[in-house]
Amino acid sequence: MEKEIITGSRTGDSCIHVRHSSGLEIFICEMKGFSSIEALFGTKYGSVNTMFRTSADKEYTTVPEGIAHFLEHKLFENEDCGVFELYARTGASGNAFTSFDKTCYLFSCSKNYEDNLRILLDFVQKPYFTKENVDKEMGIIGQEIKMTGDNPEWRVFFNMLSGMFREHPVKTDIAGTVESIARIDAELLYKCYNTFYNLNNMVLSIAGNISADKVLEICDECLRPCGDNGLETVFPDEPAEIVRGEIREKLPVGASIFDLGYKCAPRSGREMLRAAAAASVISSLLSDPAQPMCERLLKEGIVNSTFGGEVFYGSGYFTLNFSGESDRPEAVREAIFAEIDRLVAEGIDEKDFQRIKKSSYGMLIRELNNVEAVANLMLNSYMEDVGPYDAIDMLSELTADDVAELMRSELRRDRCVLSVIEKEE
Amino acid sequence: MIYNRSELGDGIGFTSVIDDKFKTRSLAVYLLTELDAETAAVNDIAAEILTVSNSRFTTYAAMCEKLSELYGAGLGSSARKKGDAQILGLKASWLDNRYAIDGEDINGEMLSIIRDCLFSPNAKDGAFDEASFAIIQKDLLDRIDSEFNQKNVYASIQAARLAYRGEPAACASYGTKEGALAATPADAYRAYRELLRTAQIEIYYVSPEKDDTFSEMFRQCFGGIEREPRKVNIRSRSPLKAVPETITEEFDVNQSKAVMAFKTDSDDRYALKMLSIIYGETPFSKLFLNVREKMSLCYHCTSRSVSVKGSFFVDIGVDRSNIERAREEILKQLDGIRAGGVTDEEIENSLMALDNAVLQVGDTPSSYISWFFDCFCDGEIMTPEVHFRRFCDVTKERIVAAAASLRPDSTYIMLNREVQG
Repeated sequence: MEKEIITGSRTGDSCIHVRHSSGLEIFICEMKGFSSIEALFGTKYGSVNTMFRTSADKEYTTVPEGIAHFLEHKLFENEDCGVFELYARTGASGNAFTSFDKTCYLFSCSKNYEDNLRILLDFVQKPYFTKENVDKEMGIIGQEIKMTGDNPEWRVFFNMLSGMFREHPVKTDIAGTVESIARIDAELLYKCYNTFYNLNNMVLSIAGNISADKVLEICDECLRPCGDNGLETVFPDEPAEIVRGEIREKLPVGASIFDLGYKCAPRSGREMLRAAAAASVISSLLSDPAQPMCERLLKEGIVNSTFGGEVFYGSGYFTLNFSGESDRPEAVREAIFAEIDRLVAEGIDEKDFQRIKKSSYGMLIRELNNVEAVANLMLNSYMEDVGPYDAIDMLSELTADDVAELMRSELRRDRCVLSVIEKEE
Repeated sequence: MIYNRSELGDGIGFTSVIDDKFKTRSLAVYLLTELDAETAAVNDIAAEILTVSNSRFTTYAAMCEKLSELYGAGLGSSARKKGDAQILGLKASWLDNRYAIDGEDINGEMLSIIRDCLFSPNAKDGAFDEASFAIIQKDLLDRIDSEFNQKNVYASIQAARLAYRGEPAACASYGTKEGALAATPADAYRAYRELLRTAQIEIYYVSPEKDDTFSEMFRQCFGGIEREPRKVNIRSRSPLKAVPETITEEFDVNQSKAVMAFKTDSDDRYALKMLSIIYGETPFSKLFLNVREKMSLCYHCTSRSVSVKGSFFVDIGVDRSNIERAREEILKQLDGIRAGGVTDEEIENSLMALDNAVLQVGDTPSSYISWFFDCFCDGEIMTPEVHFRRFCDVTKERIVAAAASLRPDSTYIMLNREVQG
């Protein structure tokens, strides 16, 4: 088991990477002067992974939507007690989340990190699913689904995704539906657990007031080696075209909101990181109040300070989205179309480009100032198959031509979806 | 960490925190004034407009351009309430000069931007710049409209309006729609001048090394302002309603919500906080373990103590058909504590959670600022360790007494409209 020191060339920040003999990838960042500790134990398993097989399976298994999230809830229950009870005794704040392409279990604390790490590594490797505890969870998750269903930002985003993707499961709510989770049982949970919670598909990321040697000692003690199961996840063929260019829904809201997104070609690894950096610059160019387009939209009251852009990407999807509150989202769309045409025709002003790069660089440096952000940075770099400090290097290499090329080739009007949540009259 | 607080003038405190682990510098300027429905909106606009433009960067676009040139320096404003006080804030954070690739003096640039925002704002003839005003006024009106977008936020606001009816705290920190619509650029400028004259002002600066330039700048600039600071009443117990009240609204939503407000005459804020942790603030609390885990009635059911107002809230999101069952269980769990149902283990676990939380103060610049500002509002500056020891002194009897002191005051219920079959 070899320790690799990874150092960021720009800032000199460094972390330790270990490929543990159990198969687990481990990232450790000792942060001098900080009191807290943040640890994340994650698997490359999210809501989009609904079709898979291992080398032991002949056929692909298709599972109900929302099962990764359901599994996350259920892992918090051991045979003898709940995980929160264990954390209660150490004072840690434990939690978990499921996203489109990962599930992570985490704790933050400032004392007893050794015990907390043992708890984390232990319960994630020790599933306990029964008919009774699965049935009990239906009501809780059912309420969570209803709660997010009342969140207009959530609705406008998923409506946009459903307008973009014909087949890819990214269009479906992470928690599934009340109907889809009703098809989940203990056996199916074990099937998913045994497939995706293999240490060869997982990562531990821990940062803060820790000793790397102690972390590795605890890993040696708690990790149960497992062989690579030859996991294959597949996604249905997704056409490049969108499904519908515009989706509107009326809801009881106080302010109308919109999400406008471009469907781009999916990527992976460093290519994805490079495209994400370029798309992030486009997002800033188009939503920056310093730019004439955004300045005009603000002055005319078409958008307010909630207007912003985001790059959203993962396994089999890559989108660039703009969102905010507006009573005139069509005017926002027209403005974005026109501005992209202008930038493609006239090119990107080098001064603006360098300024936005500086701003992005500042944001990346600020992340390194924060224990939680560093732990997440290391985890995400594993999930995206890049190095923890690659984003800063990638940004420094990025040129205005890279950005213009992405804009020209990917931001097509016929690949754009406008989703609107309108006020009920 | 090196902490220092000094008085820069009448009712103006300056706290500096030096911590060499940070790569950034952070500044917060808080203006404390009495929360008043008549003035809250115009005060909010006045504070927000300061960060949109100033006499040097006269448009929002110019200001944003400059801040992004400075490696995406953050400059923003905030309005919140604490007890019966409105707290208006200007906040900034930026990279330390060490990280400037081209050797720019980010610290010096930010000092002059902040100085101009506060002491040389974009105003003439006794009124703020109209274009900046229009952006901020629209933002505030939209924010008020969007209260209803987040149903849990809306339910909490409605519950506070009901619980504190007739008191300053009934008003949102950013005021009312009427107040926002009525405000003019001249009103906002007058409000700002009045805040500079009368508000209690607390300034916080967190830097990786000793730096007196900000305290000197503030000392000099405030020196030219005639001050008549007014004491702000943060701690003000809300009276118990003679008869508990319930307000119900019905909407086309998926999930019903209930916010139960209790009032207390207890001044034991440490025991009230411990009560809340054990009762409903954590995943090992009685509400989590029973209402959620055992009865599967909800995804969230939490409690919070607002000791400055002598109030205590329980929030739940639940199916309409289960509201009564949930309410009964919430009260049953409270009755259990009132009857002495608190274990040594629950107390010990609460202390562990608090210990872990207070030790994390200082891991971000904003946690230092929040910590010392909260201490100021509570009238006592102390270290997190001393604060924690106060919790260690809380006995089971004090927690039981805190629970016994809670009286039902009001309930806000949002019902999902039933579909007629």
